[in-house]
Amino acid sequence: MKFFDLLRLVAGNLTRRKARVALTAVGVVIGTAAVVVLVSLASGLRQSASEQLYGIGDLTLIQVSPSYGGEGMYMGGGGGEISSPSDVKLLTNSALEDFRAIPGVESVIPREYLMSSALIKFQKLEMYPNIIGIGTNDVADLGDATDRGSTELGRGSIVIGVTVPQNFYDPNLRPGKEPPPPPDLFNQQVQMVVFKYDSEGHETRKNIALRVTGVLKETRGESDWAIYMPLEQVKLLNEWSQNRRFNYNKDGYSMAIVKVTDANQAMEVADQITAMGFQAYTPQSFLEGINNFFIILQVIFGGVGAIALLVAAIGIANTMAMSILERTREIGLMKAVGATNRNVLAIFLGEAAGIGFLGGLGGIAVGWLASQAINILASIYMANQAGQQGSGLPSVAAVIPIWLPVFALVFSTLVGMLSGLYPALRAATMVPVLALKYE
Amino acid sequence: MGGQVVRALDNVDVEIEEGTFTVVMGPSGSGKSTLLYLLGGLDRATSGEISIEGERLDQMDENALALFRRRTMGFVFQSFNLIPSMNALENVGFPMQFAGTNAKQRKTRAQELLAQVGLENRADHRPSELSGGQQQRVAIARALVNAPKLILADEPTGNLDTSSGSAVMRVLSDLHKAGRTVLVVTHDPRMTHFATHRIYLLDGRVVGEAEYESAALEALQIE
Repeated sequence: MKFFDLLRLVAGNLTRRKARVALTAVGVVIGTAAVVVLVSLASGLRQSASEQLYGIGDLTLIQVSPSYGGEGMYMGGGGGEISSPSDVKLLTNSALEDFRAIPGVESVIPREYLMSSALIKFQKLEMYPNIIGIGTNDVADLGDATDRGSTELGRGSIVIGVTVPQNFYDPNLRPGKEPPPPPDLFNQQVQMVVFKYDSEGHETRKNIALRVTGVLKETRGESDWAIYMPLEQVKLLNEWSQNRRFNYNKDGYSMAIVKVTDANQAMEVADQITAMGFQAYTPQSFLEGINNFFIILQVIFGGVGAIALLVAAIGIANTMAMSILERTREIGLMKAVGATNRNVLAIFLGEAAGIGFLGGLGGIAVGWLASQAINILASIYMANQAGQQGSGLPSVAAVIPIWLPVFALVFSTLVGMLSGLYPALRAATMVPVLALKYE
Repeated sequence: MGGQVVRALDNVDVEIEEGTFTVVMGPSGSGKSTLLYLLGGLDRATSGEISIEGERLDQMDENALALFRRRTMGFVFQSFNLIPSMNALENVGFPMQFAGTNAKQRKTRAQELLAQVGLENRADHRPSELSGGQQQRVAIARALVNAPKLILADEPTGNLDTSSGSAVMRVLSDLHKAGRTVLVVTHDPRMTHFATHRIYLLDGRVVGEAEYESAALEALQIE
């Protein structure tokens, strides 16, 4: 039997029972529309998430943390008492040398936090800083650029993130008084106070004068809140506050930044570092995690819609079973005039698939309209919100990726075909004489 | 029921010569339709042999049987079995779809056959717009579409009034005269006028004409 003849025959048979086909297809329409709307909502969420995630970091940078064995990941202090040394991988100077030897690595920059509490004072204002010592004299090596000033660091100079000034507060602010605006720190001298406590809790202070030589551009990352200082200076302050010397050949650094020459190599280099036993983290792996999350979300949302399709599938199976019962003699006739079992199977599978296909078409149309309606409602809502908050909110709520209608159509057709399988098989295997005599 | 075996046909041994017009007569339940369906490969015997032109139908699988029916046989049924959604032309051409014939050839052939049964001006009528006799003639045209050697007709006049029944009989007789082998199952005695051979069936057995007649008389007397 020619495929085109089959299509014409199937189409003819479907138009013969318009009302029934339409009613059965409505189930598929609802199911497909639910899948389309829910998946497009998940896609919309994903898109707005990625819109907000811009600048999550320079793609050539890999953050490497030491591994202390076992699961989980420590943050903070360089070293400490370690129980099972075999699993432990510390960021010692020799480990950093090993990283530098990996092909594609441009530079390796150790990082250390200030371990003691500190306070930064500027005029009447104070703040608790997030001090990061970096093993380079140029912040640009971390992928950061300055808004004002220079990225270069020298003894006594600091480069600050763009939101650092917002953390300043007036300790003597009287209740009810307006808090002061964030200070402009660029090219200003600030005082850093580092605290040290002995075993009896006596406090010793150390005052350091620092000059803000650069303000970084916004990154929406950690840098926005960071105050960068030369590593050597942080090391000295740590030794002073902890009252001991650190041996970086033995205890290692709390973190290292590995910069690769080509962003495409980042994942590969990160994998090698992970294979060496360290914890490596790239923005790519973060993006991958986000993507995986949204793929799972789409699958779950799609699955919810698929429940409606399942109900529709039962409807198709029922319609086909009824139709085959009614057309038993026709099946007998087809067999008498030389239709093989495969011909009969193809015709009835085709009809079931046809119902699925028509329902799929309708479902895509309804789903698309519903998504547009959601977007219109959402944009009205967002416009109100944006008016109140004055901030940029995601532009769309539901996004229909190009693959979705194609997938929905193929899927609904397959659902139709699958639910028609049992009735069609029954039709195909009918004994011709019984079918012909069926009343 | 109760698992009781009904022997529709028992120890039937018939041979049908090519080019004959055979009428199978018998009362209801005599197994005459079963004989026709067995010959047509639409039913399977529990035991025994059926061969047509040396090909053993009882040894063929479903697929081979379907292909054999397509090539060799044309069926005519009591209730016509036309597809209601198709017009006369489409109904006649329908079996050719399974043979993979293209639409143009199907149309030409169907028109030709409709003309042969005298319905060329009814080509675009649906079965519901045709009389019983016309429907049966469409069905006969359909049976001829793959140029079968053997025409099997199951009570072709059973649903028809006398005059349209006669018309159908004449069409079948014409086919026989044109050289085809025709086998008709019927209890319409008029059909025997066209027949070259007769087979009488009683309770699943082939009997002679004399025995058949006396059994018929006996049945009358009981009533």
